Formats: sequence, C-alpha cells, structure tokens
Amino acid sequence: MACRSTAWTVALLATSVLFGAYGFASDLHVPFSVNAGQGFSISTEGSGDGTFYLLGPGNVIKRPVKLGAEISITSDDVANSGQYQAILCSSQGCAAATFQVHAGDPARLSFFLHPSRVPVSTPDAIVATAFVFDRYYNPVLQTTKVEFQISSGAGADTTRTIPVQRGVAWMRIGSSNKAGPVRIVASVADIREPRVIQQVAAEACSLRMKATPNAKGALLETDPVRDCSGNPLPDGTIVSFTKTDTTGKTTVDAPIKKGVARAQVELKGHSQISVACGVVLGNEISVAGKT
Amino acid sequence: MKTILAAGITAVTVLLLVIAWFQAGGLTRHEISTGATAAEAVQALMADIQSRDWERAYSRLDRSNDVQKPVFIRDIAGSDGSLRTYGSLQSFDIYPLRADDNQAVMRVRMKWSTAVGSIDDTRDLTVRRDGSVWRVQWPKPNFVTVPPQVIPVNYLRWDIVGRDNAPPWGTQNVDSPQVRIISMNAVERPDRVVVMGEVENEDTVPAYVNVNATLLRPDGSAIDEEGSFDLISHTLLPKQVSPYRIDFPGARIANVKSVRMDARALLVPASADPVIAVSDQAVNKDGLGRTILKGDLVNQSGQTVNISQVLATFYDGSGKVIWVSDGYVDQALFPQVSTPFAVDVPDDVVGRMSTYHVVVNHYIRTSS
Amino acid sequence: MILLRAFRLVHAVVLTMMLCAAASAQSASNLPHVTLNADNLGPRPIEQVTGANIARNYAVAWEALTKALEQNRAALLKEQFIGFAKDRLTQRIADQTRTGIHVRVVDQGHRLKAVFYSLDGAAMQLIDEAQIQTQVYDGSKLIYSDTAPHQYLVLMTPGADRWYVRSLESSPSSTP
Repeated sequence: MACRSTAWTVALLATSVLFGAYGFASDLHVPFSVNAGQGFSISTEGSGDGTFYLLGPGNVIKRPVKLGAEISITSDDVANSGQYQAILCSSQGCAAATFQVHAGDPARLSFFLHPSRVPVSTPDAIVATAFVFDRYYNPVLQTTKVEFQISSGAGADTTRTIPVQRGVAWMRIGSSNKAGPVRIVASVADIREPRVIQQVAAEACSLRMKATPNAKGALLETDPVRDCSGNPLPDGTIVSFTKTDTTGKTTVDAPIKKGVARAQVELKGHSQISVACGVVLGNEISVAGKT
Repeated sequence: MKTILAAGITAVTVLLLVIAWFQAGGLTRHEISTGATAAEAVQALMADIQSRDWERAYSRLDRSNDVQKPVFIRDIAGSDGSLRTYGSLQSFDIYPLRADDNQAVMRVRMKWSTAVGSIDDTRDLTVRRDGSVWRVQWPKPNFVTVPPQVIPVNYLRWDIVGRDNAPPWGTQNVDSPQVRIISMNAVERPDRVVVMGEVENEDTVPAYVNVNATLLRPDGSAIDEEGSFDLISHTLLPKQVSPYRIDFPGARIANVKSVRMDARALLVPASADPVIAVSDQAVNKDGLGRTILKGDLVNQSGQTVNISQVLATFYDGSGKVIWVSDGYVDQALFPQVSTPFAVDVPDDVVGRMSTYHVVVNHYIRTSS
Repeated sequence: MILLRAFRLVHAVVLTMMLCAAASAQSASNLPHVTLNADNLGPRPIEQVTGANIARNYAVAWEALTKALEQNRAALLKEQFIGFAKDRLTQRIADQTRTGIHVRVVDQGHRLKAVFYSLDGAAMQLIDEAQIQTQVYDGSKLIYSDTAPHQYLVLMTPGADRWYVRSLESSPSSTP
C-alpha cells in the first residue's frame, strides 16, 4: 500500500510540473467566492475553440466555448456550496482555477425537539437543535441567530435567541410541573418551524389503594393515581396488585382506567395486599377473608 | 449364471429390507401393537398418539369412565389454537407405579416438541385387563364450560398514525419509548454465564423491548454478544416491568471484566386488554420430585388467549434478581377460566430465594 | 518419494493460505487512515464505542466515494451516504457519466475533529483536514490534477447499525 501510494504521488507531481509548463490560472479568471445560486461570468484569454468544465460538489458541466469570450455561469450551475474547479482546455493545454461557493441567506430550518414525551419537573430535559440551510439546502455558516419561542400551559411565553455556530443552534430547558403540550417555534429570518411535545406525568406519588369486600372476594381500587405535582398518570399505565395469603401469592397487573386502577381478587383467609406502579411502592393493607 | 445372479441380488435386497425394518423399530412397533401387558398397552397408546392416529388411540381406551372421543382428542391434541395444537409428541417414558393381575398404574412422562421448545406432560394412567388385552383408562378431563355472557372491553388501546418510514430530516416525528434497565446481575452457571435483571418502560406509550448484552474482556474487547430472545416480556405497557435473562453458553465469568447492556425500544400499537391474573402461586414439588413454582392463570378478559408464557423472577433477601424462569402453557386461556401453570426452579435458587414475581406474556391468534 | 510429494503438497497449501491471508489483510487495510479528535466536544460527551464507529464509518464512506467517483457508480454510495450528501454526489456522478468524466482520488488520510454532538445523539458535526490528491479525466485525457489539502465540514447522523454522512461541504484547508 505504501509503495503504491508513493508511486502515485510521484506521478501526480510529474504531471503537475508538465501542466505547469503550459500556464494555469492566468488563462481563466474566476471570482474568489460567490453565493450559492448567484450566476456570474468567467473571463478567458486566448483565441480559438476550447472546452470548459465546471466540477462542483453536486454537478459537472462540460461545454464548448470560444477562448477570449466570457463564460456564463447560471444560478443552477452553482446551487451547491463548496469548492468548485473551473477548467478550460484548448489545443495548447488546460488551465484551471478554484473558487468557493458560500451558502445564501437562511431559507430552511431542520428543527429537532426531543423528547416527544418528557416527564414534568425535570431540569434540562427538553433539547432543541436547529440546523440552518439556504434554499438549496446548503448549511449557512455565516453569522446569524435563531430565535426559540417557548409556550407551555404553565407561565408566560418566553423567547431565547441563540447564535448559530457552523450552521447549528441549540438550547435546552427544563420541563414545567404541569402536564400538557409544550410548543416551541424556531425562527430565523422569516422562516418559522413549530414543534410540539408533551409534558407527561412523572412517577406515581403517594400511591394508595383500598379493598372493598364483595361476594367474589374483594375489589381492590387505588385512589386517583397522580404524580407529586398532582398530574394524573395517563390511562393505560400499569399498576400491580399483589395479594399474599395462606394459599400463596396472587398478582394482577391492571391498567389505569379513568385515573384509577382496579382488580378483583379472591380472599382465602387473612391476606396481605400491596400495590406498586413501576418502581414506586404504595401502601399495604391487611384484609380478612373466608377461611 | 444369469439366473443365479438375479436370485442372489433379490436375496440380498430382501435381506437389506429386513435389516432396515428391524433398525427402524418395526419389531418394537409390532410388539407394541399387541397390548399384551399393561406397559405394552400404554406404549401402544403413546405410539398412536405420536403418529397422531386418534382413531386407533381411542380404540385402545377402556370406556368404563365414558371418555368421549372428541374430549379425548381435545385433551391430548389441544384446541383453540393453543400451543399443544402446534406440537407433536417427541418421546415418552413409562414407569410402573403399582400393578396386580388385573390393574396397574403407569406413570407416563411425555415430551412434546413445539416451536418454542419442549414441554413436559406427566400423567398417571390406570390400565385394566380386558380379557387377553390391557386397556388404558384415560382420566376424564374436566373442561370448564364458559357460560355465555357479555364482557365489556373498555381498556385503553394505542394506535400509531401518520408515521412515515423515512420522514424528511428535521420534520416532526415521535421518539421511541424510553425504557430503562433497572437491575442487572451476572452469574455463572455450570455451562454458561447468565445475565439477568429487570427492565421498565418509563414512558407513557407502549414499547416493544429487546435487551442485548455484550461480555467484555479486561482489554475491552468483546467475548460474545447475546440477546434475551423470549426470556423477556417484549411488549411493555407504560410503567410495566419485565424480567430478562440472557444466556452465554460456554462462557466463564472469570474471563469477564464488564458487561455492556443495550436496551432498545420500538413504538408499537398495543392494547391494555387482556388482563391476566396470576393466582395461588406457591413453590412445591411436582410428581417427579422437581421444585416448581405453580399457580393459576385467570384470563379476566372476553377473548381467548391462544398461547401464554409465564416468566418468573426470583429475588434474594436484598431484592436482587437471582434467577428468571420461563414456561409456556400449552392450553388456551379461556375467558374468566382458571388454567394451571408451572415453571421449574433450580435447586440452588430455592435455598436462596426470598420472594418471586410472575408476569405473563400472551399471544392471541388474529383471524384473517 | 511419496513423502516428498506430500511435503510439496502441504507446502503449496500453506503458501496459498498465507497469500490469501495477505490478500485479505491487504483489502482490509485499503481503508483510508482516519483519526478522530473529540477533545472539548459538546454539548454531549462521546462514548468510546461511538468514536470508534464514527472513524470507521467515515473511512468506509471515503473508500466508497473514491470508488464511486472513479467508476461513476452511484450505487456504491448508498451504504454510507444519506440525505443531502447522497443526493448531491449521485447527481455529480450522473453528470460525470453524461459528460464522460471520471475522477481519480488518492486518499492519504483524514484528521477528524468533532466539534458538535447534539444532546439527543442525533447528529455530529466534524471538521476533516483531508490529504487527498485528485485527478480529473475526460475519457482518457487528464485535464486537471490537484494535490492541495482540503477541509470538509461533515455532518454525520446515526442509522440502525452505522453512522451515515449526511453533509460533506468542501473548502480550502485552513492549515498551510
């Protein structure tokens, strides 16, 4: 591998010297930089016919030209930002020049807001990241700022302005103590990208249940299951009831319905019943049953 | 010369066929088909069950306890899309328990082969002499009849709408569910390293969870990577906790410096129905002297659960997970009906366990 | 005599196995050399495994890119490139094919510096100081060659089992 690489390097250097003898950049005049999508002209020297090549990050152009005339570069030819090579070949050889195409004005935002569901009262839990592009999806590296407008159910709307670095602006905020939607709008220039995430109840708090004896045994029912901020846990959240009596252990994983979880169990003798939701334990109760 | 050659070839062919018949157990099957002894009668019955010849198997039964043929077939072959309906009798062992001239009790241990592994079924069969042959008195199964009723189902269901497989980068999307491994314990067994623990769905939406683990050497290189396969309850509803167990056959814990865990969750549609209660759990010995955790599953919904899997987590006094066992129930769970289950408990775990927790995986066959 | 023949046979087999091993080692080492500097990366810290994957996936991406540009085969890009980068390079290769141009790249390595890793782990920005030599051919005629170092602003995003190059923006190198 090393031998092959060295051979290539020698060959390239020799070729460069050979081409240098014919003269390079002086035959082709390009601007140092242009903005993406901005057409311009390249002036040439000499006379006769030639072939013009333009190699960009996302395109290649090849067309016959007259030496000494201006070569017109359209906006579509330089839509992509990056480094371009302009090459002009004639019977006397080839001349080349490079120029840089920069991104245009901000015109698009790729905006990420995570996570889709965030527990309430969690510091720095919400992360907003915005990537700024021009209308050709070139990253905007010029100095600019992104404005994040934050509105949630709790409190007044706020705005944070973040400078863009290498085309990226980001910020993080904590979740409030009230469950509900959080809307954040990222904007730059006249582009606005809204996103909505949900603040959801955190872990269950003060989980309590009671047992009501009935003909089949006992109906176990929790109090309305809420987190420590008072937000009700969503329906479908699993609550585990465990009953231990003389015959053994019985467990029922019941989903919350309308804020409350219920389970029907048989009672055989004295029973010890506990309740849990995720990793949170609730109260334990003792119930006397049929012997 | 040609005649001798033809005769010789024919003789050799017949000899080879006879040898093949003996090798394939033809003599054994012939002896089995007679039922001249109690053991032979049970063997013959098992052979018919193995070849799924229900007519012939039923013809070997003693009819004194009035077991109807459909009931017998349902008992042995399964029904309602249960795991037994997808299985076949792989092998059986017969042990005489007691016998006299006219009656015997034989214990038969059947090993059923299914798509999820082998399932043991042990039964004690009474065999009576009927003239010159012995007949098996099949115990009359007690199938519970589900009375007609209307069971309202109003549990929550989650659907996912508007999700594109390849949304443009930076557009609004929904995140995968948040799951967390809440405990991990790596132990060495005689022939492998086992990593086990529990994983919780911390999110408010259902998650399809897989847990993988990689054993790492002291230099950080990987020894092996394995997944939990079916030793986990894959679909977790919000705040639901599942055990997991990951086996590394052939690994030695002395070579392991650390374990890298990876829990992945996918957002999936799910239903909170059915609720399956696990009642009367107790640790006992089965008929073969093995320690088992047994109990009953009660399907509290209105739908038949075709296949159910029980996952049992065993904890020591400090709450650490010391073992995870699993077992499939080969019967369907009918609505409001109690169905027994049992899972093995290793002897060394019995001595150390303080408590246990059982969760149930369920699979319902959808009609197309 | 038999022993001699057996020895020759074993010798031939061993020699073949050694050559095969050398060939496979050679093909594995055709990946360009990539180093990753993640000092002072933020806001999210980078895990060691992630860093190794980034460097390896970037090297594989450049190997695919050089082959694609030389052979004018855009299909070679699909395993390593995604989004804007893939669209642009695919169009570039289509234009090359249409105009009869192909580009030979000698890749002598990349020094990656990770400059941004989003908190949700969904994107990483890197600056690549690349030592590459480029030759542009129109048919069999060499029309341009370039040995200057290049700098790329790279955006990589994670997929199911690898990191993809989503954006690859070139500029003249800032380092002399």
